[in-house]
Amino acid sequence: MKPFEYLEPSTVKEATQLLSDYGEKAQVLAGGVHLVPKMRKGEIEMEYLVNIQRIPGLDYVEPEGKQGLKFGAMCKLRSMEISRTIQNDYPVLYEAIHQITSVQAKYMGTAVGNLCVATPASDVATALFALGAELNIAGAHGERVEPVEKFYLGYHRTSLKRGEIVLGVFLPKLPQGTGTSFLNLVRTHSDIAKISVAVAVTLKDGICREARIAIGAAAPTVFRAAKAELELKDQKLTPQLINQAAGTAAGETRPISDLRSSAEYRKKTAKVLVRRGLEKALERARAQA
Amino acid sequence: MKREIATFKINGWSYEVIITPNMTLSELLRGPLDMTGTKHACEVGQCGSCTVLVDGKPMLSCSTLAIAVRDKEILTIEGLSQGAPLHPLQQAFLDTGAIQCGFCTPGMIMMAKAFLDENPNPTRQEVKEGLGGNLCRCTGYVKIVDAVMAAAETMRKGGK
Amino acid sequence: MSDELSVVGKRLPRWGASEKATGAARFLADIKLPGMLVGKILFSPHAHARILKIDTSKAEKLPGVEAVVTWQDVPKNLYNPNKLDLILVHPELEFKDMYVLSEKARFVGDRIAAVAAVDASVAQRALELIEVNYEALPAVFDPVEAMKPGAARIHDYAENNVSVRFGFPVAWGDVEKGFQEADVVVEETFRTAGNHICQMEPCTCIASFAADGRLTIWSPSQHPFLHRRKLAEIFGMPEGRIKWITPHVGGAFGKYGSLSLEPVCAALAKKAGRPVKLEFSREEDLFGTEPRQRYISSGKIGVKKDGSIIALQEKMIVDGGAYYTHNFSTTAVNMGGFTGLYRCPNVAAEATCVYSNVPPTGGVRGYGNHEGTCVLEQLVDAAARKIGMDPLEMRLKNAKKAGDPSSTGIPMETCTFEEMIKLGAEKIGWKEKRLRKKETGPKRYGIGMGIAMDVSGAQPFNIQHRNAFIKFNEDGSANLLVNAADLGQNIIGALMQIAAETLGLKYGDIHVVAGDTDSTLYDIGQHASGGTYQIGHAVINAAEEAKKDLFARAAGRLGVPADDLEVKAGRISAKSDPTKEVSVGEVVKEAMYNFKGEHLNISGKGSFSPTLNPPPFSVVFTEVEVDTETGEVKVLKILYLADPGKAINPATVEGQLEGAIAQSLGYVLSEDYAINKKTGVLESDNFNTYKLVSALDMPETEVILYEKPVPSGPFGAKGVAQGAMIAVTPSIANAIYDAVGVFITDMPATPEKILAALNRR
Repeated sequence: MKPFEYLEPSTVKEATQLLSDYGEKAQVLAGGVHLVPKMRKGEIEMEYLVNIQRIPGLDYVEPEGKQGLKFGAMCKLRSMEISRTIQNDYPVLYEAIHQITSVQAKYMGTAVGNLCVATPASDVATALFALGAELNIAGAHGERVEPVEKFYLGYHRTSLKRGEIVLGVFLPKLPQGTGTSFLNLVRTHSDIAKISVAVAVTLKDGICREARIAIGAAAPTVFRAAKAELELKDQKLTPQLINQAAGTAAGETRPISDLRSSAEYRKKTAKVLVRRGLEKALERARAQA
Repeated sequence: MKREIATFKINGWSYEVIITPNMTLSELLRGPLDMTGTKHACEVGQCGSCTVLVDGKPMLSCSTLAIAVRDKEILTIEGLSQGAPLHPLQQAFLDTGAIQCGFCTPGMIMMAKAFLDENPNPTRQEVKEGLGGNLCRCTGYVKIVDAVMAAAETMRKGGK
Repeated sequence: MSDELSVVGKRLPRWGASEKATGAARFLADIKLPGMLVGKILFSPHAHARILKIDTSKAEKLPGVEAVVTWQDVPKNLYNPNKLDLILVHPELEFKDMYVLSEKARFVGDRIAAVAAVDASVAQRALELIEVNYEALPAVFDPVEAMKPGAARIHDYAENNVSVRFGFPVAWGDVEKGFQEADVVVEETFRTAGNHICQMEPCTCIASFAADGRLTIWSPSQHPFLHRRKLAEIFGMPEGRIKWITPHVGGAFGKYGSLSLEPVCAALAKKAGRPVKLEFSREEDLFGTEPRQRYISSGKIGVKKDGSIIALQEKMIVDGGAYYTHNFSTTAVNMGGFTGLYRCPNVAAEATCVYSNVPPTGGVRGYGNHEGTCVLEQLVDAAARKIGMDPLEMRLKNAKKAGDPSSTGIPMETCTFEEMIKLGAEKIGWKEKRLRKKETGPKRYGIGMGIAMDVSGAQPFNIQHRNAFIKFNEDGSANLLVNAADLGQNIIGALMQIAAETLGLKYGDIHVVAGDTDSTLYDIGQHASGGTYQIGHAVINAAEEAKKDLFARAAGRLGVPADDLEVKAGRISAKSDPTKEVSVGEVVKEAMYNFKGEHLNISGKGSFSPTLNPPPFSVVFTEVEVDTETGEVKVLKILYLADPGKAINPATVEGQLEGAIAQSLGYVLSEDYAINKKTGVLESDNFNTYKLVSALDMPETEVILYEKPVPSGPFGAKGVAQGAMIAVTPSIANAIYDAVGVFITDMPATPEKILAALNRR
């Protein structure tokens, strides 16, 4: 591993100041699951490594009053997996985390760290898109809130400015009558997804008031299939409509061919997964009524 | 790069070691401390062979900077039994035939220990999920799952 | 005393298990020697390039660098890392085309130079300071392309990049006539997958020259004596000047039938004058050690309406990679498996082995028989479908029986195909499941089967020569000296059980010395599952010889004839009068310490060379569910019936079969050795991209050991491990066909390929 200067700030303010001072010469160490192997292989180099593991107050997952749930930058995926609130109130997020097979990676890795890697093939990010997550970002100039859909500017690019760090994430409470689902396709259970889909459907009086369809690994970033969502809004979800919307959603993908799959396969199976995801979410929404 | 003396608490003992920040925990264990039970099979965090417990939690030591875990309680395979008798997991691995070449074994056993510490009465499916981050090329995992189930029973009955 | 076995057949903890469970077992990368240096290799970034100039001066000057070597510094003898040229009855087709360091780059990852330095970071820096002037040449990554006129020549001697063309030497009958007489002919071309065995321990080697010039090698090689001889030839050293040590090895699966890092490591150690450890990373192991050959295999089967197979033909183009290694031998075994599994009056096979600019291939688990049988078993199913016959019935009709020759041509003492097929069919519910109503939904159930026979050693094709030595201690225990090392297959435990049973001792009374060419007698090494069957006999012979002296001494002491004696659990007693007894230890001690001058350290030496080669048989049934909307295959259950003759240690045998199931799953479904067809770079170079099966990917498995002891086997035992994958792979493929009617001609059978095939229909 190439040498670097190791820094251990003990407050958020220190951390953002260091990141502001060093800019692109610095990297943040949170869980390290993604970063440390890349450092060892020389794929990522830095002059300064800012370890935020010892900053107190970042490792939490708890309800935010009655409005929802929040989790901190150093909250491990494992803590979120065993959180009763997440299991009960945000099952799509639980399912996305639970199907990650490396237990060690879940004990070490953080959801926020996962988001900041900004890979489109993140199951956690896909679930958070369907949940309308909001990121709390702190910088040298103060704090700001950013919806997760706006957080990604492109492949491996976030909206974080120099000196900024994600402090935590807020998940608004899902409206009554919302059913969710998470599906993906993988080569083996431990592999990164070829394609992942997270769906949230809110029913009121049998009509779909809102549908969220998040798709991962099928475009430069995770994205919401907005056109498909629009086709479902304020409609009765018949099998034909669901099928049609699934086709629209597949049309919104911009997949590539890589080691794991082909663009053609991703486009084809996007339709299948979105359809199945909508069917499952609808069934769960109905079960709530 | 700055070299510094750091203290590590491993298997109940304190070790003072000169380290640099770019040393992983597995390199520390396998190198200056000569605790070679923890293995390098991939060094990208994909196989679990480097699993050790840090404050009781299973971690991939190849993906952990040593400097980041100084002053934490670290348990490696060498610390599991400290001589006879063997830990129930180790004994179960022996008895069921869950060890073939043995290269994945330390990481597998350490992960199983962390798993059973949290879930002492698992189903077979839960054991498979608990070992999802540990690769083995020899056994097909069948007898490994048998061993963990057997060890769980022994430990529930009070066996140490 | 009863004839019941007390040690053989028991599920005893394997040798070395507690060391492995406590982390005390030292594998190659764990071994440290005083003054040891870190070795690293400089690999070619080009798939095909001439080396115009190498400048190592800057690297040599770097503080902490003790040696730098290029092809100019190492011996210039061509060799083949495959050990077979030393023991094959017909070695003419084992070509030598490799140097210790390559004089020309023939694949991305070819070995150009190497350094030895005080630590890994200095060694890495030294590699970066070596300046190599390459002249890049056009490269070929496909054997068909490689054979075209005008394609860049990879080895000077190989016109059109063809290393050898040959026909199956023991073909019989007249296939052309056979196909004419057949009622139905099925022909299909398969591209078998060249996956990597990915043993968990990355390849590592240590070399150390003593002050007197004697070389010690620590290596994962499966053939210490053969590879010692090879290394001696390469370096122009006498064999006895090399000591070869095999410590615990983290998996081999046949791959270390080839020399790997030993020549480079020895060259570095020689130049540096200090011990050198060369340790591959996982990435280096993936591109730098041998994957399987890729066979473009056109198989043809001719059957009569009644289901008899009357003609079998295989034509192959073998993509063996940049060097020859096991090209000929695995291809010949492939042909043997294809033509020899069933009764068939007309068979033929031919192959063209071709070079291409990809990593050189080797001989791993199945050794060609795996791929040959995979093609054959899918053709058998296809032929059965075409004549409207149950493929299980077709197998029963054509399966060999006791007395028939195995695929090695040697008559079989036993054959349990019929029994196992019938038993398995009943257990899995074959008939009912095949008669089921076909589903209409997107998920389709399928059931398939495969059968296979492999070998217990490489008789009659190779020299097969084994030795064992046993000596007693005063406490009545015995030391067993065998060269065979534990690669994970527990050969040592099995030999301990055989020794204990024969000597009448307890398992724990056998202390083993293994893996050291200085202290153990000659053994050709471990391959072709010959260990238990052949070394087991050597051990029995050694034990019988030791027992002779033991009984002779005890007879005198007890006042009975030697042939009246028996030994059990460490006590020798007279069959005619069991009150006349003495402990083994007493007899041994007396022979060591007596004032009569009648001194003897009671011991025995045993040798063995086989004449027979009883095949292990396997029959596998697989159930799958295929999602026709995504092409995904979920393997639901695998039922594995195996006949190992006699399982010396049933847990060990089951473990081999269960591990083989996991490897077959990966081979068929998820392992993609993905070489970029433009650059020749291996893109799946670690476990995040090259996907092995985890516990969660395993189906429900049931393993049945159907033991029918072979008279010629030690306690009736045969080999198991090499052939363990062979029936599993086609059973999965056949199950997929049963589910969705799609031929898997190009493995891995990814969902992408299955979906595309479904859409084409």
